[in-house]
This record gives sequence, structure tokens and C-alpha cells, in this order.
Amino acid sequence: MTTEVLWWIFAVAIVAVSAGVVFARTVIHSAIFLILSLAGVGAMYLFLTIEFIALVQFLIYGGAVTVLILLALMLTRMAASGEPEPTTGVQAPFGALVVLGLMVTLIGVAVSTAWPGDLGENAVAVSIEHIGEQMFQNFGAPFMITAALLLVAFIGAIVIARQEDED
Amino acid sequence: MVPMENYLVLSGIIFSLGVYGVLARRNAVLVLMSVELMLNAVSLNFVAFSAYLDPDKATGIIFAVFVIAVAAAEVGLALAIVIRLFRNRSTANVDEAATMRW
Repeated sequence: MTTEVLWWIFAVAIVAVSAGVVFARTVIHSAIFLILSLAGVGAMYLFLTIEFIALVQFLIYGGAVTVLILLALMLTRMAASGEPEPTTGVQAPFGALVVLGLMVTLIGVAVSTAWPGDLGENAVAVSIEHIGEQMFQNFGAPFMITAALLLVAFIGAIVIARQEDED
Repeated sequence: MVPMENYLVLSGIIFSLGVYGVLARRNAVLVLMSVELMLNAVSLNFVAFSAYLDPDKATGIIFAVFVIAVAAAEVGLALAIVIRLFRNRSTANVDEAATMRW
């Protein structure tokens, strides 16, 4: 019962801060809302009793990714002009229409589908050991490919962002 | 405990908000943050399905790990591109960078 009340508080808070990310006027406010939203989703993983993903979420998203984003915001700060610029483009109303349709569809499908089996009431705890065994027994090749992908991506990021010599 | 549909509805709402951010906002870094929101919603969906429907194999959980890893790579690359764009154009707005070359 208490868990359920807590869950609803977290869910409402996550939706609110996610809306804050998208609708905030200042980009820095959006970034701070994003941190809260990512932490909230991490709490959702705790509700699902998947501690490993929750830890990864807090470390990678809450730590590394948001620091990167804040750094990029700092580096791309524009000089303050007279009147505030519009934060959305001309396509915003059409985007809102599309998104409303998408949201209604997603919620409708999630609610109306009869999910298989008689589970539905309880999430089952999955231990870190079990995740590790599955990962290295059945998903070894994707693991290696991801390692290569990370290496390539970071070399590419360095090459793209590097200051070029004037020649 | 909370039924699985709640997680699906929550992740649907977060995903839709992210799509709106990608479609409507002008700042490139904000577009990137919206993509992060969408990726998060997808991971939440995967993990919820895995925890409720398939806890023995844990496939959805492992997929979420890969989503997080690829998202980290994507953030690094995209921010490098944004910084490069800002250096060349003195703007971080996506609608002012409409040409393919200059």
C-alpha cells in the first residue's frame, strides 16, 4: 500500500519534471529538470527491484551524461540579446498535434492490451549475478561490439570537436 | 504492488514529451536532452517488461544496459557536433543550421 502511494508520487513527479525539460524557457533549467527526471526513472527501476540498472542509471545518466550536457551548454552560451528569442520553431503546433496522437495511441495500447499470463501483480527480483551470467553467456558478442562502438564514438567526438590549426 | 500497465503508461508519457521536445525546440542541446528522455522511456519499458514477463532470461534488462551504453556514445558524439556547429556558426539553434555545407 505504502509502495503504491510512493510510486504514484514518483510517477507524477517524473511526468512534471519531464514536462519541465521540454517546456522550460532557460536551457539550464531544462538541464536541471533532466537530472531530476533521470533520477526519477532510476527510482522506478528500484520499484521494479532491478537494482543493477538503477545503479547504472544513477552513475551514467545522473553523473556522466548530465555533466557532459552542462559542459556543452557552457561552451555554447550565446550572448544575451535584447528581447528573449522564441524557444520553439514554427513547427511547434504540428509537433504538438503529432505528439498528442502518439500519446493517446501509446496509452490506449498499454491499457487495452491483455498481457499474457497471470503475473501482472508482482515484479520479480532479478539479482545482479543472474544479469551477469546471462550477459556473458548469451550476449557476449553484443558486449564486445558495444565496447568497440564506445571507442569509435569517443575517438570520433575528439576528432570532431578538436580545435583545428590555422594554416 | 503496481501493475505493469502503469509503467507502460508512464513511459509512454515520457516518450511523447521527448518527441515533442525533438520536434518543437530550437536549441540543439535541448533536442539532445529530449532524445535522452525518449531513450530513458524506452529503457523503462524494456525493464518493466523484463521484470514482469521474463525474469528468468533478463533479456530486457540486458537490452537496457546496451541502450544506456549506446546513449552515452551518442551524447558524446552529438555534443561534439553541437560544439563544432557553434564554433562555425555562432549559434546552437537547429533551424539556423539548415544548409548541408558551407
